[in-house]
Amino acid sequence: MTPDMKVTIAGVELANPLMTASGCCGYGEELANLYPLSKLGALVTKSITLKPRLGHPVPRTAETASGMLNAIGLANVGIDDFIREKIPFLAKQKTVVIVNVAGSAIDEYVEVSARLNDQPAVDMIELNISCPNVNEGGMEFGANSRLTEQSVAAVRKVFSRPIIAKLSPNVTSIADIADAAAQGGADAFSVINSLVGTSVDVDSWRPRLTNNKGGLTGPAIKPVALAMVNAVYERSRLPIVGIGGIATWSDAVEFMLCGATAMQVGTALFIDPFTPVKIVNEMKTYLKKKKISAARDLVGKVRKY
Amino acid sequence: MIKPACEDAYLIQSKDLRNSYYSLTFGSFSKAGQCRPGHFVHVQLPCSDVFLRRPMSVASVSRGKKEIEIILKVLGRGTRMMSDLKKGDRINILGPLGVPFRLPRRSQTVIMVAGGVGFPPLLYLATEMVAKGHDPVLIEFFYGGRSAGDIVEKPRIKKLGLKFHPVTEDGSLGSLGLVTQAVEEYITSRKGTVKPVMYGCGPEGMLKATDELGRKYGVGGQLSLEAPMPCGIGICLGCVVNLRQGGHARVCCDGPVFDIGEVIL
Ligand SMILES: Cc1cc2nc3c(=O)[nH]c(=O)nc-3n(C[C@H](O)[C@H](O)[C@H](O)COP(=O)(O)O)c2cc1C
Ligand code: FES
Repeated sequence: MTPDMKVTIAGVELANPLMTASGCCGYGEELANLYPLSKLGALVTKSITLKPRLGHPVPRTAETASGMLNAIGLANVGIDDFIREKIPFLAKQKTVVIVNVAGSAIDEYVEVSARLNDQPAVDMIELNISCPNVNEGGMEFGANSRLTEQSVAAVRKVFSRPIIAKLSPNVTSIADIADAAAQGGADAFSVINSLVGTSVDVDSWRPRLTNNKGGLTGPAIKPVALAMVNAVYERSRLPIVGIGGIATWSDAVEFMLCGATAMQVGTALFIDPFTPVKIVNEMKTYLKKKKISAARDLVGKVRKY
Repeated sequence: MIKPACEDAYLIQSKDLRNSYYSLTFGSFSKAGQCRPGHFVHVQLPCSDVFLRRPMSVASVSRGKKEIEIILKVLGRGTRMMSDLKKGDRINILGPLGVPFRLPRRSQTVIMVAGGVGFPPLLYLATEMVAKGHDPVLIEFFYGGRSAGDIVEKPRIKKLGLKFHPVTEDGSLGSLGLVTQAVEEYITSRKGTVKPVMYGCGPEGMLKATDELGRKYGVGGQLSLEAPMPCGIGICLGCVVNLRQGGHARVCCDGPVFDIGEVIL
């Protein structure tokens, strides 16, 4: 029997637990040239802000040991062009569409989310209250329980479908922030966004990013992400979307065992854009071998000492 | 848009071209026959020390044999590891990627401006043009380097029958100076008699000067740009350049070939 790969996040059923992460798959068009997006459990768009943004000057990425730094700076087309030019394409894709929303003030999150509420093609939103790459806000919200609760609550009033709060690892207690987001009305969490980091060229003494610092992602951050997923899992009953360094089927299984119901693949798409599709197939083989009938049966089953 | 392949290939031949330049031939690659001049492939090394792929311009393809050649200069960790690959070693290739060169009309005089490690795509372009019947004497191939050692594959370029103009900053080979100075002299001396089209690939300063020449003398053409490219397929936004008309373009998929005057260099 082929294992059941379906999972449910806040009442929305996904064909499988693998999504592409925000900022690592644009608005889906490029990946759709490689494989049908129906092979994904869901697609998460680049962060959308009220106004278009070009982001930071280049260089805005740098390679690191088993990972990379980025300070793209939320470059995106803005909500108007997103609705006009990207939504029609996304509406045609046979996958769950999650739009990531970012802003520099609560009003901005609210306005963007309200506009998205009128777009039936948008199945859920993911609130990026955790971007390390904008000075005006982003991570500020996600590092502060009161602001987290306020921003989620404000968006809750204008968006009627599920809201995923994307949590920052750059905090003292991610479980406390998760509590605040739940209090504000979040339906699920995605854990984690990138870790603040930097890298310096020893010839020029210049940081390798014009933003001086950026977000660390890729396999290097997987152990941190797993521990944080588990911390949130032990605190809250809301479903978790695990993110951070996932590149293989066993990475995905580890995340499920630590408490993730679904997973996002980010940086690994840059190495192999087919990664989520391969993971789904290889996870099926693993589940068969282990005689487990449904992927969701793995969630939270880590056998702790 | 070509659907790129993502597949393993093996090193078939490695040639030391001296001065840290290497020619590597990989096969078999199922999309070799679809690699046009200006296309690049994104190469993943089978070692954990080099995390991201490295973009490499296609220097030639042998269509029947499904092989592609890249020519690199050792400049960092990735290129060093690549130069150390042994016959039979496995890599992974994602490609062909990017927008290739537009071939010129067959009767057109063509100025090629190659600088240092930027010559491989122009070598491929010239080879392809000659193969398609472009009269090689209409191709003025300017190739600049710091000194004689930086000008590699001379016999191969000359064999095409084109007009070869080496230029070195120390005068150790060909004319003395910058390649773009030699190109400017050529353009001014032929002004009014021919209407050439220009193709350039090389370091930033050279591209900028070539772009300025094109705009100053009204010579159209295309430039192939380089950028750090985490993904190579347009999904990370790490490789952007500023456009003269405003906004950004991604070097990996809106380029790497852009029209002269299109990008703020
Ligand atoms: C180039 C790049 C751009 C990103 N842009 C965004 C973004 O716009 N919004 C967001 O919420 N997360 C963004 N992220 C973070 C990812 O969604 C993800 O949380 C992080 O990369 C960790 O996962 P990974 O290790 O699989 O890449 C970005 C990551 C990268 C590498
Ligand atoms: S390299 Fe990722 S968008 Fe160009």
